[in-house]
Amino acid sequence: MAALESQEMVTITVNDVDLQVPKGELIVESVKRLGLEIPIFCYHPRMKPVGMCRMCLVEVGFKQQDGTVRKMPKPQAGCTLPADNNMVIYTDSEMVHRDRKGVLEFLLINHPLDCPICDRGGECPLQNNTLFYGPSTSRFTEVKRHALKAFPLSKYVTLDLERCIQCGRCVRFTEEISGDSQLAFRFRGASMQPSTFQMHEFESKFSGNVIEICPVGALTSSRYRFRARPWDLATRPAICTNCSNGCNIWFDYRAGKMVRINGRTNEAVNEEWTCDRGKFGHDWYNSERRLKQPMLRKGDKMVPVSWAEAYEAILQACPPSAGKMGGLVAGTVSNEGLYLFQKMLREVFGSNHVDYRWTRNRLSSSHPLSVGANPSNKLTPIAAYELFDSALIFATALADEQPMIYLRLRKGWSSKGTKVVVFADRPVEEKGFAALTVHYRPGSEDHVAEGLLKAGLAAGKVMVPGEVREKIEALSFDRIASFCDVTEGQFRQAVDLLSGTGVVVSSQSLLDLPEGVKTLEILADFSNGLGFDFNCYALGANDEGAARLGVLPDRLPNGRPLAEPGLDTAGILDAAARARISALWVVEGDPISRYHEKGDVVLALENVDFLIYQGTLANETANYASVILPMEAPAEQEGTYTNVEGRVQRMIQVVQEPGDAKQAWRIFGEILLRSGHSKPYFSASEVMEEIAQVVPSFGEVTYDRLEGEGLHLPLATSTDVLSEVN
Amino acid sequence: MGLLKDVVKPILGGMTLTARRAANLGKNIVTIQYPDEMREQYQRSRWRHYLTRYDSGLERCIGCSLCAGACPARCIYVEAAENTDTERYSPGERYAVRYEINMIRCIFCGYCQDACPTGAIVLRKDFELANYKREQFIYTKEMLLEKYPGQNLEPYRSKVTGVEAPIYTG
Repeated sequence: MAALESQEMVTITVNDVDLQVPKGELIVESVKRLGLEIPIFCYHPRMKPVGMCRMCLVEVGFKQQDGTVRKMPKPQAGCTLPADNNMVIYTDSEMVHRDRKGVLEFLLINHPLDCPICDRGGECPLQNNTLFYGPSTSRFTEVKRHALKAFPLSKYVTLDLERCIQCGRCVRFTEEISGDSQLAFRFRGASMQPSTFQMHEFESKFSGNVIEICPVGALTSSRYRFRARPWDLATRPAICTNCSNGCNIWFDYRAGKMVRINGRTNEAVNEEWTCDRGKFGHDWYNSERRLKQPMLRKGDKMVPVSWAEAYEAILQACPPSAGKMGGLVAGTVSNEGLYLFQKMLREVFGSNHVDYRWTRNRLSSSHPLSVGANPSNKLTPIAAYELFDSALIFATALADEQPMIYLRLRKGWSSKGTKVVVFADRPVEEKGFAALTVHYRPGSEDHVAEGLLKAGLAAGKVMVPGEVREKIEALSFDRIASFCDVTEGQFRQAVDLLSGTGVVVSSQSLLDLPEGVKTLEILADFSNGLGFDFNCYALGANDEGAARLGVLPDRLPNGRPLAEPGLDTAGILDAAARARISALWVVEGDPISRYHEKGDVVLALENVDFLIYQGTLANETANYASVILPMEAPAEQEGTYTNVEGRVQRMIQVVQEPGDAKQAWRIFGEILLRSGHSKPYFSASEVMEEIAQVVPSFGEVTYDRLEGEGLHLPLATSTDVLSEVN
Repeated sequence: MGLLKDVVKPILGGMTLTARRAANLGKNIVTIQYPDEMREQYQRSRWRHYLTRYDSGLERCIGCSLCAGACPARCIYVEAAENTDTERYSPGERYAVRYEINMIRCIFCGYCQDACPTGAIVLRKDFELANYKREQFIYTKEMLLEKYPGQNLEPYRSKVTGVEAPIYTG
């Protein structure tokens, strides 16, 4: 709620019904408790009220001592009216109806009424309110205002000024929610218009949201422009898999093709917002490069084959239980697929060479900071970011890597005054609200972390073990500054700002740095010494799930470490290049573009005897493949995804897969079945049942429990790990 | 038990009718020689759809899909695209790049015509819609669209009256 709410309850009367509401609650919210609705345009529950459109007019009175009601002579805007004792509200009186009609008539004076060609037509609040509350005919015979039509504000957002009713939702969104303040009102009166400053491009990581909150068709999606009308579309709930946050989305499709993505409300994850990467980043579903048919290399050519032939070829080329198979998987595969992938590699091919991590450095799963299932990496829930006193954002472009954490943190800053300290090597969005932004020399993260720890020790705020203290105190600030261009004063200022309850945010992208592991360890020491929650978040849609499900060379799904671990990503690629393993199974993603050392990947792909590429899109890796297995994209399958905070959310099949593509878990399940290692899996929920039995932290998960906000997995406690060792 | 009543009387009755018709041979004929002849249809009969043009030659259809939304049989598929200055199909920003009607599904209710904000889609009296293959019942935009404004696309009508059909102008 945008309004300040206190716990004190007051009694108001709405349409002669007495109602207890918190004092100060906005009337537009209070009446919802009765199931009533006040028509609105400019009011948005997640933003501050401004009372610009006057659509929410209600009649207000106050109960007098003698029981009579004394009405105010004029109607009041319900969106800016806080509830108070003895208030009497009428939302349905003659006067209110007349006023609404009048307001709508004014709003429609300059509205072009080009609804048939407007992308908003059919789901337009102005259309709806006019239909319910407005006049049925127009008395306006003069010439309408004419303004810019279809002006591209950015690659994603198109502005139609004629349709704008100047509610200011978009302007307030960029100021209050996304914080980039890209939009502003220019001019006054009838010529007032929202636009970017000096008409430069609308550059925002969250620009797509203004399309959804615009109550008319003034801001429309350039990608969706004229592609469909709302009634042409079918929509189903889905999860965005473009980053690790697991935002809830509505997946709109037409004739089996993805058309657009809208935000779906999940208060625990994304509230109702989406980032542009999620909103506009699903076009690949309709790509020409989608794989549709299993292909087998015969001579120089890739020949389309049936699934049975492809399986035969795989099982013949890769003798079971030889331990000669390596498996690389990307984090966009569902939990079910990931689990069966490692199960298949371990049971059918007798190999522990399986990994999902593509970063330069990989923490061993016994390392206290590895992703998933350990007590040192707190994985603070996204919703908790509203509540901290201070936060340290370290070496992560938060708006890119964890967009929803960015929005929550900013919400915390605007509502609670969270002090945010940012250490970054590039311009970042957080600078707009951070109490302190420090730019260091790229690549010097480990020195920055040392400097932070040293400043923390010097200020007496951080407690660390003796040997770490000695090592850090031996360093001088001057020497640290010579590496990273950050002065002692900046470090001290940062440490001063970090107090109270707090959180340290970093991401797995740190591990891509040569000194990534060291940086993480120092940072964790600093964070734990301060008493902050330390977080090193995953980046892939299901990396968190992969870690917990044991898609790792050194740990099994049940959490038991392996005495003789298999090879990790670098090891697998090296072994493939040296022909120590004879087969490589790459699932989804393009290792050539993902791995930091492209040459290593190419060498491995060239030298491995038998390469199985399983994916949704044809890419460079597929060119090296002996067998290509087409896989269903996330929204084409049943499955679950574990997001960055360990929340398992369900994906239902939204659209049909292209051609013969199969779900990931089905492919692995069929290999398991063919080689006689498993009973058949008939559905994804059966796989989840098995996961729930095997993997400790998934114990509570069943498909029924994943309705609504999903299920937040517990962090594995240290006792789990101990009992597994025994 | 009446042989007379049950057998002879009906035969006589029937033969009388035949004799009466035979006496009137050549007068008051109700059957016509379709397809050589065609009956004038009622004023508001609704058959085959056409997409009309403005007098300027621009298409009326703006691809708004309201017809598809109104269609109770869900037999209309519209795909819109944007006009450019070099390639202009309709006035305004938007035109239909694909417009298809599945004539097997269509129930000829005329709701599309009612819903159309520009009077682009009209149902005229061309009722001879039989065909051999299912695919041939998918009427594409090329089949539906007039070649020029006011083009006479109703062969039956000129056979009946010799005059071209009036163009519905919304």
